[in-house]
Amino acid sequence: MTEAFPAALVGPSSKERKYDRQLRLWAASGQQALEEARVLLVNSDGPWGEQSTGVSGVVGVETLKNLVLPGIGGFTIVDPALVTEPDLGVNFFLEEESLGKSRAQETCRLLRELNPDVEGNSESKPITELLQDPNFLPQFKLVLVSGPVKRSTLSSLSSAAKALGIPVLYTRSVGFYSTFSLQLPAAFPIVETHPDPESTQDLRLLNPWPELAASLAGISNLETMDDHQHGHVPYILLLLHYLEKWKETHDGNLPSNYKEKIAFRELVRSGARTANPEGGEENYDEAVAAVLKSLNPFTLRSSLREIFEMDECNTLTSNSADFWLIASAIRDFYTKHRVLPLPGSLPDMKAQSADYVSLQNIYKSKAREDLAEVIETVRGLEAKLSPRPGQIADKDIEVFCKNAAHIKVIHGRDLPLLDGDTHTLKAIHNALGDPESLISTFLGFNILDSIITEIQTGALNQEALESSLAWEAGVDRVIQSLTSEVSATIDEETKQRILRTTQELQRMQGGDLHNVSALTGGLVAQEALKVITRQYVPLDNTCVFDGIRSRSEMYRL
Amino acid sequence: MLKIWSMKQQQQQAENAEGGAGKKKKKVTAAQLRVQRDLQELTLGTTMKMTFPNPDDILNFVLVISPDEGMYKGGHFNFSFNVNQNFPHDPPKVKCTQKIYHPNIDLEGNVCLNILREDWKPVLNLNAVIVGLQFLFLEPNASDPLNKEAAEDLRTNREGFKRNVRSAMQGGMVRGVKFEDVLR
Amino acid sequence: MVEINQTLRWKHLYNVLSRPGPFSDEDWVPGPETISALESSKILVIGAGGLGCEILKNLALSGFKDIHVIDMDTIDISNLNRQFLFRQSDIGKPKAEVAAAFVEKRVKGVKITPYVGKIQDKDEDYYMQFKIVVCGLDSIEARRWINSTLVSMVDFENPESLKPLIDGGTEGFKGQARVILPTLSSCIECQLDMHAPRPAVPLCTIATIPRQPQHCIEWAHQIAWQEQRKDDTFDSDDLEHIGWIYNAALERSKQFQIPGVTFQMTQGVVKNIIPAIASTNAVIAAATTSEALKIATACNPYLENYMMYAGEEGVYTYTFEAEKKPDCPVCGNLARKMTVDPNMTLEAFIETLGERPEAQLKKPSMRTEEKTLYQRFPPQLEEQTRPNLKLKLRDLIEDGQEIAVSDPAYTIDFRYRLDFS
Repeated sequence: MTEAFPAALVGPSSKERKYDRQLRLWAASGQQALEEARVLLVNSDGPWGEQSTGVSGVVGVETLKNLVLPGIGGFTIVDPALVTEPDLGVNFFLEEESLGKSRAQETCRLLRELNPDVEGNSESKPITELLQDPNFLPQFKLVLVSGPVKRSTLSSLSSAAKALGIPVLYTRSVGFYSTFSLQLPAAFPIVETHPDPESTQDLRLLNPWPELAASLAGISNLETMDDHQHGHVPYILLLLHYLEKWKETHDGNLPSNYKEKIAFRELVRSGARTANPEGGEENYDEAVAAVLKSLNPFTLRSSLREIFEMDECNTLTSNSADFWLIASAIRDFYTKHRVLPLPGSLPDMKAQSADYVSLQNIYKSKAREDLAEVIETVRGLEAKLSPRPGQIADKDIEVFCKNAAHIKVIHGRDLPLLDGDTHTLKAIHNALGDPESLISTFLGFNILDSIITEIQTGALNQEALESSLAWEAGVDRVIQSLTSEVSATIDEETKQRILRTTQELQRMQGGDLHNVSALTGGLVAQEALKVITRQYVPLDNTCVFDGIRSRSEMYRL
Repeated sequence: MLKIWSMKQQQQQAENAEGGAGKKKKKVTAAQLRVQRDLQELTLGTTMKMTFPNPDDILNFVLVISPDEGMYKGGHFNFSFNVNQNFPHDPPKVKCTQKIYHPNIDLEGNVCLNILREDWKPVLNLNAVIVGLQFLFLEPNASDPLNKEAAEDLRTNREGFKRNVRSAMQGGMVRGVKFEDVLR
Repeated sequence: MVEINQTLRWKHLYNVLSRPGPFSDEDWVPGPETISALESSKILVIGAGGLGCEILKNLALSGFKDIHVIDMDTIDISNLNRQFLFRQSDIGKPKAEVAAAFVEKRVKGVKITPYVGKIQDKDEDYYMQFKIVVCGLDSIEARRWINSTLVSMVDFENPESLKPLIDGGTEGFKGQARVILPTLSSCIECQLDMHAPRPAVPLCTIATIPRQPQHCIEWAHQIAWQEQRKDDTFDSDDLEHIGWIYNAALERSKQFQIPGVTFQMTQGVVKNIIPAIASTNAVIAAATTSEALKIATACNPYLENYMMYAGEEGVYTYTFEAEKKPDCPVCGNLARKMTVDPNMTLEAFIETLGERPEAQLKKPSMRTEEKTLYQRFPPQLEEQTRPNLKLKLRDLIEDGQEIAVSDPAYTIDFRYRLDFS
């Protein structure tokens, strides 16, 4: 692919060629969001006893690698540590010559080599110092923290980010285990959730709009059509036709329950011509197959009803995000029509080209009509709420209408802490009830966090990481806080599970393995991409990976 | 590694297998083995003949269909079969090597048969394909054609279509296209 | 040159190799022996693409010192969004060589031997030298080939002949990692139905009733090219060729008033492009190398045997044990050894098969990889192979060669290795 593109043709740019394989996932809009984002990586947080740090920061660096390659706008690495020998055994973005130099600078330099489109810089000052500058944090769209870090640092960073509405990913990786949590704003909306295309079909067969119903006139001679025509009537029209027939013999009612649908399916099936070489007709086969899944009355998904009922949707202000204005307009649309705007897409089906195209146009024009109505409502809201920062683009409203049935709002939570709210403790306690659960690993990391905090504040010395006593005390403390808050007991078997996890962590003295950190860097980057592009559905809110059993689990803590 | 091996030995005792590893000798591939089996299970009848230009290469052969009834009676139609090493995950590649007048076979020899493409499944075998091909000559399908002109003729003027088939089979011209003589 | 203290450098890795953990096997002996076993393990990586680059990096940082890598491809601009060992200036160079050189340079002390070519170029002697094979491929055919090669290499008398195969694959936000112990656990052929076949549209739809932009592209690719450019071999990497297809598809789409044909879609349809991103590759590659480390050192139990991953909605994995199929054409019928008199005729040999304990083969057909020995049906082939019946085995096969036998009375096939007495 080195030769020049034929001049007569408008081919892809070299950037489109470079990013081709990912543009097929998140399209130009996702790519633009990515290129406009800058991420902050806090890769260590001061000395552990005599060591400059015990955090290798490999998860952080590997995550950045997976963001730099697809072309994130820029990154800043904050890491006061100097490069040590053990770093060279786990971190690919360091070389022997890096030894003794600033780790922030060295990793930044080698990461930047991956993609000339990406801007990167480094800071060797501790994050707590950088946070003093009020202009520092707001430049970022996302904060990544490689843990364990001192409790006080984590708290000030996460609350500063929360105040600015910046999502935070907090990761830890030790030996074969890792965990990470995503702190999202209290309401984090996503329009392009990319649901399974099968589930997004909205064909309106039970309540066709006038133009669709009118298209039935074209097949009024269905019985007398020649075989060729008969075998090419789009199945959508077949279903509409037989629904009319059904109504004639059922007091104008549609098939509503399973039994009736089965009977209806037989009615459709009986219409197929079978005296041909194939013994049937493909379009009828398609119609028969669609009966059960396509003949359901419209119901508003509960997740969408919840969104319509949220305060953000009902009390709009001039500062409301675009999402809420459109959501509110769509709620009005729903209130008026009892359906959502038509997405307008039509599945492929056996049909003559022209017949398919004209049917497709009926769906498309209806979708345009619905969109126009929503746009009008949005414009009205904008006028009422002015001044607004800028007019919402038609394109954004269109994307919203296409995806309306599947939009999502994640109710973000703070990073889960054991002395946090009772929801966290209850969720942990519930998960502990399942002997296969990986939640004990999450608790193990929590104990690690507190040991590190105590080492960093001088309450424990560095050898504590190797001391079974320190770990066991940690287990007792965790159990204590679980039982006292949730007023429940933890049985011996559960305690042993937590202990075994801590033994594996102790085996590693808090150190990580490249494989597991690289894997975690992949998972974390995936979440970062979803948060930044606002496409697909991010984690809510904690993931634990167990590389011994090659399993992962999600928890809402 | 040791653990894996002791597992192996237990299993070996249980099965009392007599296995062994060849040295550099090549093994019969999964595709070859499957074709060997499929060939053995064919039911060819009198209207079909297979030829193997190289009998050692069973992945490439020619099928000749000589319909004894229907509009194509008397013709001999040659299809090349090319089975790749990804068989039966991939379907066999089948082409008509003559230029013939048929609604479901185009002038390049492409064949429109569902199980050669969209409906192929690894559980299907060569016999299913051969039966499908034979069927095309007994019941040419005008509804979903590859050769649009031929299909139109069949649909609108069956008698005219039959005449066209006859003259095409003799190596004549139909609608300005010269076809191959398939009666020999 | 900086002098690096190796014990310090590998401190974390050595920790897990020098101390037992709560889940490591009771009989496991941690320490220097395990470490040197790891460092002397020769490991093969198949593929130096999206997964392969990651796998090479991960193995080098997992303490493997002798790594080989095979890939036949050269670097394309569309690789750069994820194949992080390659730069703009590397475009056109062989992937295996560039990747090997990069990792060797970055991680001192590791030796990476590249081979630019096909896996089928190599024979069993080549594969026999490795402890473990890690596979990061996008082709099902290549996977099936290496799988059946490794299965057939297993010699019950030689523990070293069993080469664990660790396979990874990705597509967009999804992927899977699996561990295959040839002949012991479910193999790639057993799991073949987990690969969905590429969805295809009927040829007649493409030829006469297109409805989707993809149908127009398929028409240009499958039909128009054949008709109009018969003499040019189509090359999906040639921009002039793709451009021609695009224009032809666009013309057709206008004729049928079908909107939506784009250059990007044309490339996607013609090259069967699968979306790929760095992060998914990172997850799956690391899952495979983590298993390689566990298998090579026994520091923790390995995956039995399949992990599925999907990242579209949160982080989802599903780990399960895929089952071995008793009638698997690759691992369900391992070659049995049989000693034969080379002077026996094929006909006489076939008679002896009728008395075998495992199956009385009454109507067998059989072949070697190169030769059809005897095929009972169809008649034309029977006629062509009948003369072989009178030949002596020594004139038909070599000592130690494998034959495969099918018999209509059995649903499975048999393989025998014939040793001359």
